[in-house]
This record gives sequence, C-alpha cells and structure tokens, in this order.
Amino acid sequence: MDIKINKDATDLLSMVSSIAGEEPELLNARENEIYLKVSETGFKDISPSLAERKFSLIGLFCAEDFEKKEGFTLFYVFKQAGRAPALVLVREAVRGKKVTSVAEIFPSASWFEREVRDGFGLDFTGAFDTRRLFLHECYPEGFHPLQKAFKNGPIRPTETSGREYKFRQVKGEGVYQIPVGPVHAGIIEPGHFRFSVIGEPIFSLEIRLFYKHRGIEKLVEGKKPSECVALAEAVSGDESMANATGFCMAVEQVCGINIPERAERLRAIMLELERTYSLLGDLAGMAVDVGFALVASPFFMLREEVLRQNEKLTGSRFLRGMTIPGGLKKDVPDSLLKDLPAFLEKFSRAFESAYDRAISSSSLIDRFATTGIIKKELVSPLNLTGPLARASGYPADTRLDRPYGAYRDFAPEPSVRKRGDVLSRFEVKADEIRASAGLILRLAENFQQGPVFAESAEYDGYAGQSSGEISGSGATGYSLALVEAPRGQNLHWIYLKNGLVDRYKIRTASFCNWQAIEHAVIGNIVPDFPLINKSLNLSYAGTDL
Amino acid sequence: MVNPLSLFLRPKVTETFEFRDEELEALGAEIKKEIPKVFGHSLAIRELDSGSDNSTEIEISNLGNPHYDVERFGISFVASPRHADVLLVTGAVTLNMAEAVKKTYEAMPSPKFVVAVGDDACDGGIFKGSYAVLGGVDKILPVDLKIPGNPPSPKEILQGIFALVKKARN
Repeated sequence: MDIKINKDATDLLSMVSSIAGEEPELLNARENEIYLKVSETGFKDISPSLAERKFSLIGLFCAEDFEKKEGFTLFYVFKQAGRAPALVLVREAVRGKKVTSVAEIFPSASWFEREVRDGFGLDFTGAFDTRRLFLHECYPEGFHPLQKAFKNGPIRPTETSGREYKFRQVKGEGVYQIPVGPVHAGIIEPGHFRFSVIGEPIFSLEIRLFYKHRGIEKLVEGKKPSECVALAEAVSGDESMANATGFCMAVEQVCGINIPERAERLRAIMLELERTYSLLGDLAGMAVDVGFALVASPFFMLREEVLRQNEKLTGSRFLRGMTIPGGLKKDVPDSLLKDLPAFLEKFSRAFESAYDRAISSSSLIDRFATTGIIKKELVSPLNLTGPLARASGYPADTRLDRPYGAYRDFAPEPSVRKRGDVLSRFEVKADEIRASAGLILRLAENFQQGPVFAESAEYDGYAGQSSGEISGSGATGYSLALVEAPRGQNLHWIYLKNGLVDRYKIRTASFCNWQAIEHAVIGNIVPDFPLINKSLNLSYAGTDL
Repeated sequence: MVNPLSLFLRPKVTETFEFRDEELEALGAEIKKEIPKVFGHSLAIRELDSGSDNSTEIEISNLGNPHYDVERFGISFVASPRHADVLLVTGAVTLNMAEAVKKTYEAMPSPKFVVAVGDDACDGGIFKGSYAVLGGVDKILPVDLKIPGNPPSPKEILQGIFALVKKARN
C-alpha cells in the first residue's frame, strides 16, 4: 500500500526508528496522525524515550479483530504539547497472554490499562494497580463486554455482598476516613470520594467513579455512523456539541468528506456557545460553594440566556440533533445569526459587571487564592488538559495546536495563569468566556450562504445525500479526531468496517482530569473540597461512558 | 446617625429583572396553591442521578436560577432522602448504581413518590438493550410519574411536578 506522508509524519517516523533501532512498519498516515507498528523490544525501548522527549500518552485503547488480525490490537496515542501530529504506536497482543504495562513511565496509562482490562480481558504485567475500573462488584468474573464474542444484551448481575473494592489505606495516629457518595447532597452526578484526614486537613483522597457506566462503546458497535451521533451526544450532556463534532470529524476523515464552509462555521459557533454556557455554570458553581449568591445569580442568569439562545438557533438548549457526519442536519437562518452581535454585546456587559463584583470581593479571593493547587509538573504525566492545565501554566489548546474546522481560520485568544489554584481557574474560565464571545462575533460576520451538508463526498461508495444520511455502503478505515471541549481535549477514534462502526473509542478530558483532584486537595481542608471540585467541574457521565 | 428610613429611598441593590414569563408565574401560583393540600407547606424533593448524561441535572438545577426560582412556589431540593417527599430520578439505572438507587429510596419516609425525569429514566431511552443498564427507573422502583424529554426543559419538569402534586391528592 502506498501511503503518502507529510513532513511532520516523516520526522516522527525517523525519530521512532532511531530510538527503536529498527524500521517500524508504517500502517497508516493522515494529516496529523501516523500509525506505526514496532516490535515488542522496540516498544520497550521507545516508551521511556518518548517520555523524555515530553510526549504525553493522550490515549490508550484496544480493538479486537482489527484489520483482519485475530486477537487484540493496542493503540498508544502520543502527542507533544503545542504540536499537531499524533503518534500512534500499534501493538499486537495475543489472546490470553499478558502485555507489559507502561503505567510507571506514563501515569495516565494506569486508568487506560484498567479500562482495557475490564473491556477486553487483557492483563498487563508490572501494572501498579490491577483493580477493576468500570466494572463494579455487580459484574461477574470473566465478563468483558467489549470482546466481540459478547453480544450486547442484559446480563445477570452477581451478588455483591462479600465483594469489596479495596481502597488505598492510609494508616497512622489520628488518621481517619471519610467516605462520601456515590449519592451526593446536591443536584449532581454520582461518584465516591474516600478521604483520609488528620483533623481537618486532607491527607489523601481516592476517587472511585464509573457508577454511571452505560456501555456506550458497546452500544455503537455495528451501527451506521449517522445512528451513533445521539450516543456521542449522550456521552456528556454539557459537551453534546463537542462530542458530536469529534465523532463526525473522525467519520468524515475516514470517508474523505470535506464539509462545506458554512457548516464548519456553524459548528464552531455552536461549540463556542457550548463552551460559554458550560463555563458560566462553573463560575456560578464556584460562587455558590463559597456562599456568594449575589455573584452566582448573574452567572446563572447568563447561562439561562445562552441556553435560550441555543434553543432559538437550533431548537435544542443543548445544541443536540444538529450535527451529522457530512455537515449539519439543518441550516441556521441568517435572520437569527444577525441577532447574535446584539445578544453578545448585552451578554458581555452583564458578564463584566458580574465578574467585577466577584473579583472585587476580598472574601471570595480569600477562599479562591492558594486553594486546590495543581502543579504544572503533573500536567503532562497525567495528560491534564483544558482550562485546568492552562490555569497551571500549560498553554495547550487543541483549537490552537491542532486546529480543525473553522478554527483553522479563527483562532481563540489564549489565556494562561501560572498559580494553578482555584482563583487561576476562575480567571482562566472567565477569560475563555470572553474569548468565546469574541470568537462567535468574528465567526458570525460575513456569513456566506451555502449548503450545510456535503453533497458529494470524495470517497467511493459514499455519497452525501441531502436527506442528512450518509449511506453506509462500505467505507473501511480508521481515524483519530481531537476536539477542545469546554473541559479540555476530547479524543475520538473510530474504526469503520464496511460503513459500520466496528470500534469507537471516546476519551473525554474528564477521564484524565479527574486524576488531578487527588493531588489538588492534599493539604487542603475538607470544607474546601466542594470548591476545588467545582473549580475543576469534571463530568462523571463523560468519564463513566 | 443614618436614618433607617432613608434606606427606602436609596436605589435597590439588585437590578430589576427583564424577564417575566406569565405562563411560568401562573403555573407556579397553581403549584403553590396545590402543595399545602397534600404536603403541608412545602414539597421536598431529592434528586437522584441513576446514570443520566448530566443534561437533566443541569435542567433540574436550573429550576433554582433566577429565571425560575421555584423555591418561591414552595418547592425545595433537599440534601437527604430522609427529608424528601419526592425522588426525582434521572438516567437509565446503571447496574453500578442500582444498589445505591434502592438504598436511597428505602431511606425516604413514607408516603413517598418517585418521578422519572428524561427519556432514559422513562424507559431506558437510547441505552435500551445495553448490558450496563436495567432500563427505565420502573424496573426497580414504583414510578408515579414520567417526564419524557432529552432532556425535558425546566418548565416541562415543573409541569410534571404539578401533575404529580395533583395526582397525589387523588
């Protein structure tokens, strides 16, 4: 097979071959992604060198019977911050045989490997944590839902009594545990937090999630791409647009579809509207958690205004049902787009007044500053992304580093803070709301009339149809899409086989960012936990899948 | 010394709202009238996420924002099931949450009501047929009312609560 590769990919290829001391097999390459297969010994040499070269492991997932190969294929996705190309190392695993863990080199791999183990039954040697991840005690031993042999359907849960998840034990004089959850006191999602404290200060926190595991990755198997958008939207409600876009981008890349400019611009407008309402909720929530209703209310009001604006534009407060592989299901009338500048102007005025009121309160600053610090050194090893990373002095943003869609022409204003505390996150999120408003204004200017769905796709067997359906007549291939959701970088990888989804991997920003909270709370007092948690505002649904 | 009466002449601290939804006000007034007939002075709701996609949580918590502010109609969201009259359940009840859902319901004092909010909670929605979910909330709890939607809007949720209060009287 003749694979065309660009300069970035050539650089990565020569780097890998020089480290591994062998010529890796080039499996596939597209713009900004290259798939290389290396031998087991080559892989062992290469992982520490990649860590030294400041690559992060941004994803690790498995597929069964990939490209006519029997057994399991593992995909390790590496990326350097600030650079576009993703290096995917492909490793084959024999059924029933263990593979070596990379969790000691790339700590972000720990959850990834546990996820692979639960899904496929593949064990890792040298892993420091081999507990189950998304399969809780109610799932029977030997059950691995993502194996092809398992046909989706109800299963009989096992008796949970006597089976216990072993939390990390912290022992010592005066140390005691506080268990919290899964059901919390507020209107929030379920998850378990196990604090070990000495008096008020938190000594250790361990989180246990996946209470909301709904089996999304299994549900999409064998479906047509157009049928899966609703499931991508249901990954996390307040990231509906980002995940629908990521899914569709991956499908479009596989099928070689270029979507019309108007659709790209509208997608970007909706992505920024989503960022705006999502981050407004964060700012309001942080104010609520320090008991400052006077500041929380205007932010809540603005969020409601944006949700109503969403409904006006698309018919859905959460921007659902618009995106489809190939473009958009329907157009947004120009008459409504013309109203956006006036809406944003009013919005910005109200936002600045609320922000000033917040930031000029000494009691709010007192609670926010120096609370819940996330050190910059953690960002790459744990693959932390989004406002959280940017508030810790790490200026990565997928929209800038690896622009997609309309972001190729419209770059957002970057915002970075250095301290990594709650206040930094508050400031970064506020800056990002301003940047989004500015971006929407620019995107809504000089809008050209035109189609919003790709009439003729450039792939054999794929014809864009005006009905908004892509006929699934045979595309086979795989591709990776990265999008910057409100919480950070979401990864979407899709493998289509004869036009149907064979494997879809979603890794939301929250999946990685959750692990930051265990570090952020250390030394803080328990009453500051809700505030720290809110300042990160991570999605449970998006993690649990 | 400041004459306290002068406070009345000063401008108000908060701005007046530009929004007022007559339909919502009318609905709220009816709910406020109906609640005392069954529940004493207020309706205590406990929200429980049994595996939603979090959009329903956003809409339920929006009921507390200034556009809706349902507390003025006698509806309050409480932190413990022990204080609750009504359990609002969102999500298709995952296997991982089933036990916690049952325990939460059992912790509520009788008489108690269960409302399923959102398509997933009503009948499993798009998660129907997944190994990881039981289906609708009615698979493990007696459901008194279903509020469909993906997700239902705050107003639809409020209409559902009104329907429940009326139903509870009969």
